[in-house]
Amino acid sequence: MAEKSRTRQPFLWGGLFCLAAFLTALQVAGQGAFRFTGLAAGTGTLDRAILLYGTLPRIAAALAAGAALGLCGHLLQRVLRNPLAEPTTLGIAAGAQLAMGAATIYLPAAMAWSREAVALGGGAAAAGLVIALTWRRGIEPVSVLLGGMMITLTASAASAALILANGEYMFSLFIWGGGSLVQQGWGATISITVTLAIVAALSLLLLRPLTILGLDDANAKSLGVALNTTRLLVIGLAVWLATTVTAELGVIGFVGLAAPALARLTGARTAGRLFAGSMLVGALVLWLTDSIVQLFSGAGGERIPTGAATALIGAPLLLWMLPRLSMLARPQMGDASAAYRAPSPRRLIVLLALFATVAILLAMAVGRGPEGWAVAMGELFADLAQWRGPRVVVAAMAGAMLAAAGVILQRLMGNPLASPEVLGVGAGAGVGLTAALFLFAAPGLPLRFGFSLLGAMIALALMLAIAAKARFGRGHLLLAGVAMGALCSAVLTSVIAMGNMQSFELLGWLSGSTNGATWADAAFAAGAAALLVLPLPLARRWLEILPLGDGTASALGLPERRCRVVLVTASALLTAAASLLVGPLSFVGLVAPHVARRIGLPVGLGHLAGAVLIGGGLMVVADWLGRMAAFPYQMPVGLFAALLSGPYLVWLLGRGVPSGPGNAT
Amino acid sequence: MSRFSLSRRGFFALSAGAWLSAFSSARASASRLAAIDWAMLETALAMGIAPVAATELIQYRKIVIDPPVPEGTADLGLRGAPNYEMLRIATPDLILSSNFYEPERAALERIAPVVSAPVYLPGSPTYTLAEDAARTIGAATGMEEEAEKLIARSAETLVHHAERLAPLKDRPVFVISIGDARHFRAFGPDSMIGDALARLGFQNAWHADTRYSAAASVGFEALARVPEARVIIVEPIPPDAGPGLEGNPLWQALPMVREGRVGVIAPVNHFGGLPSAMRFAELMAEAMEAGRG
Repeated sequence: MAEKSRTRQPFLWGGLFCLAAFLTALQVAGQGAFRFTGLAAGTGTLDRAILLYGTLPRIAAALAAGAALGLCGHLLQRVLRNPLAEPTTLGIAAGAQLAMGAATIYLPAAMAWSREAVALGGGAAAAGLVIALTWRRGIEPVSVLLGGMMITLTASAASAALILANGEYMFSLFIWGGGSLVQQGWGATISITVTLAIVAALSLLLLRPLTILGLDDANAKSLGVALNTTRLLVIGLAVWLATTVTAELGVIGFVGLAAPALARLTGARTAGRLFAGSMLVGALVLWLTDSIVQLFSGAGGERIPTGAATALIGAPLLLWMLPRLSMLARPQMGDASAAYRAPSPRRLIVLLALFATVAILLAMAVGRGPEGWAVAMGELFADLAQWRGPRVVVAAMAGAMLAAAGVILQRLMGNPLASPEVLGVGAGAGVGLTAALFLFAAPGLPLRFGFSLLGAMIALALMLAIAAKARFGRGHLLLAGVAMGALCSAVLTSVIAMGNMQSFELLGWLSGSTNGATWADAAFAAGAAALLVLPLPLARRWLEILPLGDGTASALGLPERRCRVVLVTASALLTAAASLLVGPLSFVGLVAPHVARRIGLPVGLGHLAGAVLIGGGLMVVADWLGRMAAFPYQMPVGLFAALLSGPYLVWLLGRGVPSGPGNAT
Repeated sequence: MSRFSLSRRGFFALSAGAWLSAFSSARASASRLAAIDWAMLETALAMGIAPVAATELIQYRKIVIDPPVPEGTADLGLRGAPNYEMLRIATPDLILSSNFYEPERAALERIAPVVSAPVYLPGSPTYTLAEDAARTIGAATGMEEEAEKLIARSAETLVHHAERLAPLKDRPVFVISIGDARHFRAFGPDSMIGDALARLGFQNAWHADTRYSAAASVGFEALARVPEARVIIVEPIPPDAGPGLEGNPLWQALPMVREGRVGVIAPVNHFGGLPSAMRFAELMAEAMEAGRG
């Protein structure tokens, strides 16, 4: 097998190289043609300038950045012993982006001084956080990736909140959404190449002792190699290289993931070959992607940002690769079997109901006005209720539905980290919504819901199909979810980059706002929640038995396939309805079942009821905070919920303890 | 409370310039207006109406600037997510909106009747839509006369500056806004600024439609497609883009940059109405004449 692929390899890479070269030649020739049609005198020098400062550096930048990202991926994967580590999956790119966004608004002088330094600060902070949180557990791969994913989503939510709060959401988001390889000089290429050379040389030097000995950690340690220092230094170098690329070009995802994997799949086996192969393949992949992007660009610019195009190519690649990777232990976060059980679940649920009620009362009565904080009573309360009422209902119902979907998915997949957000189901609903916006002039709520549902179903079905593959662990599924989320986000980014009415609406949806909620929306939310959540106790037995594994369910006489289909459909319906109302970003579907488990409701109806109450309450609080934080400016509820939940999840991951204080069982 | 804001409105009308002299006669029929859309907001302001509430005033004062919003106007927050509780406290009796905020209409109508005009439609000249928007506001507030006056004044302003700029019409013009040190966004013929440019008698060097304003960003090398053109940069310029452009060899190699045909003008509302068209014409005339001199 390996022999076969090795013999094919020169043809494959040679062919791709020729394709990229051909596309580039087409472009240069195209510019030659425009020389003859040039009107004014002096266009000859202009053509030369474009060739010299535009076309050629763009190729060089693609090659340099591709090689740099390939090397980053290789280094991170190697020292973390994690085949899916790369700048975007570890949160480095999102951290750098957030730092640059914050600096643009609050510290413009820093941005004018050095984008690279700002980006390095943000990227290093993100990587440092991920590593610090997972250090005690030996930087275990799945935890690292989950930490990276949560930091990425929290940082993206924070970036979006920054842009929204400053009212500059149109233009900046377009550029930030995807990296661009447009070049107008050699600055970026030189900066990336120099960093690449330094990082490559230093990391070779650092890794050399290990390479020569062909040792794994345990052996190296016993030989006295200062392993952890070496690892941290190499990670630092990779972060520097990755943030340099982000500062110069923006976020370019998945090259760092794809390059080492492709190098390995096409026959590179030794560390040295992988080192070189990752750079070569990375360079070729980015060059080819960018050539294709340019091929399809029109007079109005590129249709898809190159950074989004790499995700469109890279995410399916990741999905395809996953079953071929044999690694990844199961994530150790909140396992139901080992969880603490409250002595009196009933009392706990009453308390949670009280919490939800207090949250609702707070959101209904307390607010800010032109004269400051005020508690609304009597007539004013009744008057404000027509504004606060619908949004509180919508937020509460959406939170409850997301929580219920989370509980179902976690049970169904036997995976405490499954949730509509993590599995990309919410983003799938977004792609469905996008289709509705483009296919119909002004789609009403039923059409929007129908298409969102379709998107959610397709995304979830794909996830399950992948999960059904043999030897597919929990970690794989989560990463498939990450890939699915990235794929859907890339579609959304491309649409938003088109900058039309649909983009405007999609942007609003993406951030998730309950602001325009009317009583009709509230009725839809309440109706959907009642129809979908209330019957779930009937499926209680299924939810208890399915996680125990296929054999158990059949042995107990459950029509297993039918159960699964019903539950999958229910969770897709719940997700589609909820994300239509509050966007795909909230994390409530992951957090609510978790909190319920941690406080002592790990099983059965109690878990479901607890999660639903927590989800609803959390979303109401997030909505209220979103209204209060920058009054009269309103932050979208989805972003705020993500800002509340993300840090909690990161913290939880850092503790790495299965459950709460009563963890005696 | 309403008495207070009425008197403030009267005060504003007195101090806001000679062309507002007709205001007091029309005040009786003018209403307490709130504006969600910026084009509608600036049009109402230019007609002498001081809205009681409007959206995103912090940003408005930074990048629209003229006509100024009086101090007493309540800020409703983001255009995409207007704060209904604030709007309710402002007790408007009419809300100005546009086709961009159609999804909000149901919610807005719970507070006051909504008057909405399309400020951008694919295929319709944006300037004509803006004239219609002024008439729509006039009809809704009983200030038809002010609307016609604004339309006439706007047309006169454009004609005046068109004559003033006549000697400079030999070259087409790019009007752009800068995204970062590598990207810009052009105002196409279908944007308000593009339409005003055409009415000033210039050929827009950017031919592709840009859908009102929010068009995707393009690399600066696209400016080389029309090397003989002039370039007008609309502020604000991002903090890191300024120094970036100085060290950008392709930008420096562009004929318009080399031969000094680049001008920078103060911010103009990208989502504008007639007042933005006038403001643009004025700023552009100043910049062009300064550049020639």
